[in-house]
Amino acid sequence: MIANPRLRKLPIANHVILTILALSIVLPIAILFFNSIKPRAEIGLNPLGFPNEIRFENYYDAFVKANYADVFLNSFILVAGTLLVCIPLSGLAAFSLAILKSGKKLTATVGLYLLVGLSIPAQLYILPLFILWKFLHLNNSFIGLIIIYSALNAPFAVFLIRSYMVQLPAELFEAARVEGANNFQLFLKIAVPLSWPVFLTSSLVVGLAVWNEFLFAVTFIYDDSIKPISTILFSFSDRYKNDYTLVSASAVMMALPMVILFILFQRNFIVGLTSGSMKS
Amino acid sequence: MKNIYSEKLVSWYFLSPILFIHFFVIALPSILSLALCFTDWNGFGKIQFIGFQNFTELFDDRVFKIAVWHNFIWTIFFLTVPIAIALLGAFILTGVKRFQLVYRFIFFFPYILASVVNCLIWKYLFHPKHGLHTFFEDLGINFFQNSLLTQKETSLLAVGFVDAWHFWGFLVVIYITAMYQVDDTLYEAAEIEGASKWQKFRYVTFPSIRPMFVFSILIIMIWSVPAFDYVYILTGGGPAYSSEVLANYLHFQAFRNMNVGYASAIGALMFIYVFIITGIFGLLRRLEWEF
Amino acid sequence: MLKNNIKILSLLIGLTTLLMPAIGHTKTVITWWNYSNEGSGLNNALKEEIEDRFNASQSEIELQIIFKGEDVNGPTRTALLAGAGPDIITSSGSTYVRAYYDGGFLKSLEPYAQKYGWKEKILPWAYNLGVFDGEFYSFPQNYESMIYFYNKTLFEENGWKLPTNLTEYENLAAEIKSKNMHPFAYGSSGWQPTHEHLAGNYFNTFAGPDNVYKALVGEKKWTDTEFVEALELLKKHMMDGYWSGSLENYYANDWDGFSAQITNREAAMMQIGTWGFEIMEGFKGSGDDWDWAPLTILSEDAGEPNYQLSIGGTMSINAASKNPDAAAEVLNWIISDKNRVLDFTAKRNYGEWLLPLKYEESDFSPSVDQRIRDYLVDFAKATGNGNYGYTTWTFYPANAGTHIWKDMESVWAGDISVVEFLAEQQKLWDKARDANELIPVGKR
Repeated sequence: MIANPRLRKLPIANHVILTILALSIVLPIAILFFNSIKPRAEIGLNPLGFPNEIRFENYYDAFVKANYADVFLNSFILVAGTLLVCIPLSGLAAFSLAILKSGKKLTATVGLYLLVGLSIPAQLYILPLFILWKFLHLNNSFIGLIIIYSALNAPFAVFLIRSYMVQLPAELFEAARVEGANNFQLFLKIAVPLSWPVFLTSSLVVGLAVWNEFLFAVTFIYDDSIKPISTILFSFSDRYKNDYTLVSASAVMMALPMVILFILFQRNFIVGLTSGSMKS
Repeated sequence: MKNIYSEKLVSWYFLSPILFIHFFVIALPSILSLALCFTDWNGFGKIQFIGFQNFTELFDDRVFKIAVWHNFIWTIFFLTVPIAIALLGAFILTGVKRFQLVYRFIFFFPYILASVVNCLIWKYLFHPKHGLHTFFEDLGINFFQNSLLTQKETSLLAVGFVDAWHFWGFLVVIYITAMYQVDDTLYEAAEIEGASKWQKFRYVTFPSIRPMFVFSILIIMIWSVPAFDYVYILTGGGPAYSSEVLANYLHFQAFRNMNVGYASAIGALMFIYVFIITGIFGLLRRLEWEF
Repeated sequence: MLKNNIKILSLLIGLTTLLMPAIGHTKTVITWWNYSNEGSGLNNALKEEIEDRFNASQSEIELQIIFKGEDVNGPTRTALLAGAGPDIITSSGSTYVRAYYDGGFLKSLEPYAQKYGWKEKILPWAYNLGVFDGEFYSFPQNYESMIYFYNKTLFEENGWKLPTNLTEYENLAAEIKSKNMHPFAYGSSGWQPTHEHLAGNYFNTFAGPDNVYKALVGEKKWTDTEFVEALELLKKHMMDGYWSGSLENYYANDWDGFSAQITNREAAMMQIGTWGFEIMEGFKGSGDDWDWAPLTILSEDAGEPNYQLSIGGTMSINAASKNPDAAAEVLNWIISDKNRVLDFTAKRNYGEWLLPLKYEESDFSPSVDQRIRDYLVDFAKATGNGNYGYTTWTFYPANAGTHIWKDMESVWAGDISVVEFLAEQQKLWDKARDANELIPVGKR
């Protein structure tokens, strides 16, 4: 599977370029990590290098000072809540578009609607949404943000799940239908079990998006006690802007859960993030 | 006949929950916003219809014009630098067997990090007291003496650089997927004709990945309009509006100056632009298909 | 499968408990959002001196002070727009609080002011700044003014004298620069509105308070030559590196940075508000001594040395508060005991929480730093004689008050001229005047 055989003749030059590109990504991240385990006094003397003295207590200090036990729980609730709302409902919609084949026109119309929705800049509707949420008393609550996140990620999830479900063999559904299964049973008993990989992929990608989301979180939540990690890290880095060790440790802590998931599910992430946006 | 009808209804049952949520969060507020841009509303109190006054003021607004220009530069920057690096990276990567997955993993890695984290990394590196400046100082080079983020000549591109740093790995992956679909026999044919590496890229690889390339141009043009996080976190649009972009200016007008009507007018123009771009690409695609 | 169900169930339980408001408080809870400054110990001081002491003083109300980062105005504004926010709203000055009033977010304090007799206790000019359309809305939490701080030891060593006119001012700056120091310590990182401090200083010491007054009340235009010249001069001095050596350094420098500059001889002087008294604590370890002085008058138009009137912090009650009476009780408790007020502001080195009450000489304990006492007495004397000016964050309407610092950067960057800048100012003033959004200015 080597697309370009001649390139094999110049492996060194290629590896040099690739190494430079890779270092430009690895080094900045490594510096963040190094700073997170340095004693505070060392930052001034050794701002970029490997720590001379390792101090893991930074993590403990940052964890306590930023009250991360609660903050992580907040983010976790947002992620879990969004997944619970967004993925099943998107699955239903994708099932409808892929299996129920209610006519090309409907599929195209819904597809176009979601596509237009995707290309609207968030800033256009964030204010009226804010006012709308005020009247519905959804501001400053998990539920309010979960609904928003579900809507934001729905087009992506619908497109991705649909693109998987259209590949399922139609005979399976026909056979089940003959045996008297209704549409919902088709969804639950056949479509979902067969397409679990795409549910996993879309859950990972939506979860990542929610974990990292900043604009809506900073706008819609203003009580510190229910703020998610992205906005807390932003204010924490402002509060302790002269203590890079603490700020770096916080940043690493924020990234860590997603990095672990990324390492475990690298393929799902990459396929999901790239093909998801292509499908839409 | 009846069967098809009920079948259609069932499709709607399955579709409606998520469409309902989506409509409430995105479509309805967007429509409201398009109405608000003809008012002088401040987010509370009376709503007064003022026709096109917001737009006439907008076209007279120095900062708005700066922001439009910056969004243009931002788009051009993203259409060139990350695309070029990503094409290079992907092209080389297809010829590398060893460690290919490792490289892909690394290139893609920043894309999964939160904007806040990426900004922290680069704010630190650009800082004159402990960032890259200290490294170059040791080498005797006076480089990065001032943070690129606080100088008006460089702030916009510095923010763009950080955003592109986290983004280009995404492009690598979509290009590489497309490059693997190129027929190997085409390369062999080119080999026989004695084509250079550049010629092979130009006449074999590039035409084959063109749909994906066009797609990447489309998403960059669309995503460049609402660019917000990196500007807001790294510079807030300053100094002296030198990194101001539309989304950040809209946010400022809406949440800081409480000029909701005015902000909606900015949003409406952003939407119209995106709509036109999508339309043009849609049209191009249709034309291409018919040819 | 069972495991998953349990997970989901426990998640749902967690969700509902978190979403449910806390039940079971018997006390009336009053929330108060404040900006935080942990480095200087503000947060602890507020907790101990106000929250704890108030809560210990009675058993009906529980006060909770919540810290919102360096800028409390942003989160407050968003929360108010959403129809929420704390019971007690604090802001960074009259300009900020006026916008809340225009939004209808504030409860009138007029009945409480009459009930508790606040008008008699608060200095008249400060009280009147909180009166919008005839009713009292905004409680002045601190009065402050712009002055010089300087390294006295350094000045004596070099035989420098504080300037008394523009020529001396510029000569001294050149002299200080020739010694590889910055004339003034300052920086805008972390709090961009520091630009308006400088603009206000040049308006009041070059164009002069009389002209500023006329522009405030609409008898003059901001585009008049005095103001143009004042800002041209500021621009020239900024480009000459008076503040932190260069515009870039000034933009990059923050509170901790410029506090260090003045105390460790990187800079010789500082033009800052009286909240800078707090920074002078830093001199304790340096071996140098400090002093203060009124700002230099830079032109004949500006008259006698003056102190700019300023309310550097306000407290109001949220219109959406469910317990406005209890919130008013908190406010009244704060000013009801003059000695307690002075005790507290002493802990902040008189830079903060100096409520504009009618103090007398005898109110100050002998342990108060003589220099601070001199300032407090001199401020009262000079302003009593009519030698006072106006700060932008106290007397400007909201949008002009943002423009004066945000767009000043465009002037310094050379993107627009001073005249264009002031024309934009005038436009915003005209708009605010038409919309009746101006801050009340007492007759001069």
